[in-house]
Order: sequence, then C-alpha cells, then structure tokens
Amino acid sequence: MSIRFEQVSKSFGTKHVLKQVSFKVERGEILFILGRSGMGKSVTLKHIIGLLKPDSGGVFIDGQNVSQLDDIQLAKVRQKCGMVFQHPALLDSLTVFENIAFGLRTAQYIQLIGHPLSEDDIRRRVCEKLADVNLKTEILDCLPSDLSYGMQKRVSLARTLAPEPEYLLFDEPTTGLDPITTNAINDLIHDLSRKLQVTSLVVSHDMACALKIADRVLVLDQGKILAHADRSTLKLSEEPLIQDFLAETLALIPPAELDVASIGATAP
Amino acid sequence: MIQFFQDLGATSLFFVRVVRTFFATQGNFQPILGQVAFVSLRSLSTVLFAGLFVGAILVLQLDLILAKYDAELFLGGLNTSTVIREVGPLIISFLLAGKIGAFTAAELGTMRVTEQIDAIECLGTNPIQYLVVPRLFGIMISSLILLFIGLLVSIGGAMAVAWFACGITIPEFTSSIPKFVSIGTFVAALFKALVYGTIVATVSCHRGFIATGGARGVGHAVTQASIFTNLYILFANFGLSHMLTLIDTLTEGLMGGSP
Repeated sequence: MSIRFEQVSKSFGTKHVLKQVSFKVERGEILFILGRSGMGKSVTLKHIIGLLKPDSGGVFIDGQNVSQLDDIQLAKVRQKCGMVFQHPALLDSLTVFENIAFGLRTAQYIQLIGHPLSEDDIRRRVCEKLADVNLKTEILDCLPSDLSYGMQKRVSLARTLAPEPEYLLFDEPTTGLDPITTNAINDLIHDLSRKLQVTSLVVSHDMACALKIADRVLVLDQGKILAHADRSTLKLSEEPLIQDFLAETLALIPPAELDVASIGATAP
Repeated sequence: MIQFFQDLGATSLFFVRVVRTFFATQGNFQPILGQVAFVSLRSLSTVLFAGLFVGAILVLQLDLILAKYDAELFLGGLNTSTVIREVGPLIISFLLAGKIGAFTAAELGTMRVTEQIDAIECLGTNPIQYLVVPRLFGIMISSLILLFIGLLVSIGGAMAVAWFACGITIPEFTSSIPKFVSIGTFVAALFKALVYGTIVATVSCHRGFIATGGARGVGHAVTQASIFTNLYILFANFGLSHMLTLIDTLTEGLMGGSP
C-alpha cells in the first residue's frame, strides 16, 4: 500500500519540469512536497492520478504502474485516490450537495462498494463531510458562485473526502484560506492520516504547515529533489532554499508552534 | 499549412473519440435531450429573425434580376431553392457557431482551466461522456431542428415580401416551387445542416476541452473555435455542393434513361 515514483522525468516543450525524481510514500504517512512556484509540485501530483504521463520512469500505486494502465484499470486506481485541486474546481451548475455527492453516484464508486448508496445514505455522508470541513448544512442548496473562495475550497475538500479514498492528494489545500480554517484543514489531514491510516501527499509552499503535520518533507527545486527528510532533520539542513523557507516561517510564527513535540496537541 | 492539417487531424480524432464514447457508454439519451432543448430554445429567436430577413432580402434581390427578363413567375421556385440548398444551412450553421459554438468553447475552456474537468475525471467519471457527448450530439440534432424552423420562417417571410413588395401572389409564388425543389433538395439541405452542425459542435467542444492558460487561454480557445468553425464550414460547403450537384446530375440521368 504505497505510492512510488521511480526515475520520473517530464518535460513540457523545452522546459524540463521533473528530472529523474524518485521517492516513496508509505501507508498512513503524510508527505509534504515543498518548493517554489513552477518547480513541478502540481505536475508530480497529476502523475499519481494519471492526469499526466511521465516521459520516462514510472509512477506506482500499490505496485501498479499508473502510466501503463488502460482506462478501466486507471479508473479503478483513481477510485482509491482523492485529489484536492489548487482551484476549488466545483462544478458551477451543481449545488453544494450535488457537488459533494458527485463521487458517490458514479458507476465506479457503485462498482467499488457493490451497490448504489440510498439517497438517505448519500445525504448523511454529505452532511458528515461538510461538518468535517467546518461548514454548515444551510449551504447545501447553494451554488458554488454563492460561496466565498475559502468556502468553495472547503466544499471541494468535502467532495474529495466523500468517497473515503485511501490516498489523499492535496494541491495547495490551504491557499486563500484564513488562518483558523488553515489550521482546521491541517488538523483534518493529520487526523485522517492517524485515525484512518489515509496516506496524504500535500503539495504546498507553506513550511509552517509542513513542520506541524508532515511525517516527511520533500523539497523540489529545478525539477530535482533538493532534500528528502523528516521534519526535525529538515530544520538542520544547510541548503540555502530550505534556510530561506525556514527563515520566512520563523519570522511569521512563534517558535513554540514549530515544536515537533507539540504536534499532538494541535490535532483535535 | 502544416499546423492547419495538424489541427484538422486533432479535431477529427477528438470527434472519433466522442463517438466511440457514445457507443461504449450508457445513459446518454437524457443529457443529450436536455442539450437539444437548451441549444434549440437558446437559438430560436436568432434563427427566427435571421430566417425571416434572409428570405425577405433574397426575394427582393431575385425580383430585381427576374423582372429584367419578365421571369417573376419563377421567383418562388428560385427563392425557395436557394434558401433550401445553400443559404439556409449556411446561415443556421454560422448562427450556431456564433451563439452556441462560442458559448460551448468558453464553458468547456473555463471548466478546463479551473480544473473542473480534471476533478470530474478524478471522481471516476469520464469527462467526454459527462460533458462532451451531450453537447456534441445536442448541437448536431439541434442544427436539424433549427434548419427546419429557419426554412419555414424564411420561405414564409419571402412569400409575404413577394406579395407586398413585388406583387406576386401566394399561388403564383408556390406554383413554381415544384419546378426547382424536390424531396432530394430537402434531404441535401438536412445533410448539409448535419455536417455543418457536426463541425460547429466538434470544433467548439475540442477547442474548449484542450484550452490551457487561464482567462487568456479561454479567450484564445473561443477565437480559435470561431475561426476554424467558419473555415471548415466554408470548405465543407464547397465540397458538399460539388458532391450533391454530381449526385443530382447522376440521379436525373438515371431517371431520364429509365423507361
């Protein structure tokens, strides 16, 4: 039960975004991929879910090479994964309820659980996931355009959580959110990982979040892995980019917040 | 030039992909029906206005020429034939391209750049089936419905203008129609409308579906959809007109040769 990158390279025209990138994420682990904008973080995530195919190398989910699967096999692998996109990516023409219920009504999901969910079960699941992201059921009949950007991002997260995937892929999950919601989302990622053994891969440039909840941190720069370490080791790194990230983080939050020992206290 | 053929090839492959998805999946009937209603109702007012005025303008122009040769009695037949054979299918397809084609390219393009299409795919649904199949077949079917309505209004408008402005009564107008128009003319018009509708639908869906690069990318997709749709329609019109004339000649030859 793991996600594995093996010597993955990807170029767009003359731009080499990933250069022989290799890493592994174990079950129940939270891996943060940090890096500056445009360094291939989102591209890495899209390879896992088969939205992009590597030019060379392989991406493996539970031992299956994603880039070599046919459409039916790929759909089955995708069913194990949930992805939270950089944009909320909610379907404009559907209400909040319909958006969150979308993944519960697909033929793939019905095939996975062996039977279609009743409307009552769907409603219960939708309300439960909405509560997980600190939203009230009053917004169920709203269209995405009626919500603020932060609320849309949380609805998007609820939609991803609804089919209860084994792997969660987050592309900048807290960008554009207020600090309280950011903390709530981080705690949620932490919780899912610890209680349900959900594997999480988080793409971000938020070092503070990484130092709070990540098991391991991978720093991408110029298409290569600059560092791959656990939180405490990362803080000792002498790489200038990591030092810059740390300096920015330390300037923004008090040192106590960064204490690894306090992680348990941040989770609800 | 190479780029043009690359684009044409990519659009053709996209069409094949959508048709294959249509035959390989179930539950497409209801969404297609919804799109037919949406496209037809959204375009109806434009088609009614355009049809009415095209018929009226054409009858005035033809009357000017026919009057020189004392051949006004052929006005009805000539006008109806021109509208059904050429003007009707072309005008309807250009209106569809401007109104529905641009809308579809913009809608799908926005969904692409805001990652909605990726999200649909990740949630276990085929975006081609969910988004493109209903739109593509909806536009194709609507083009036939709109052509039929447009032709009726256009011929009606032409009759009215011929009566008021040219002094041609309705019986005089209709008497020459069978000389110029046959069932084959209607079939050819429907075939043309279907081909043009398919071009509008495929190009706009394809351009929207592959859009990249934010709001600018969506704008680019809409512009490209508009340009390529009109170009492909003109090329198709040239080819189809030749082909249908040839079929017409061959059919007449065969009919004439039979006892």
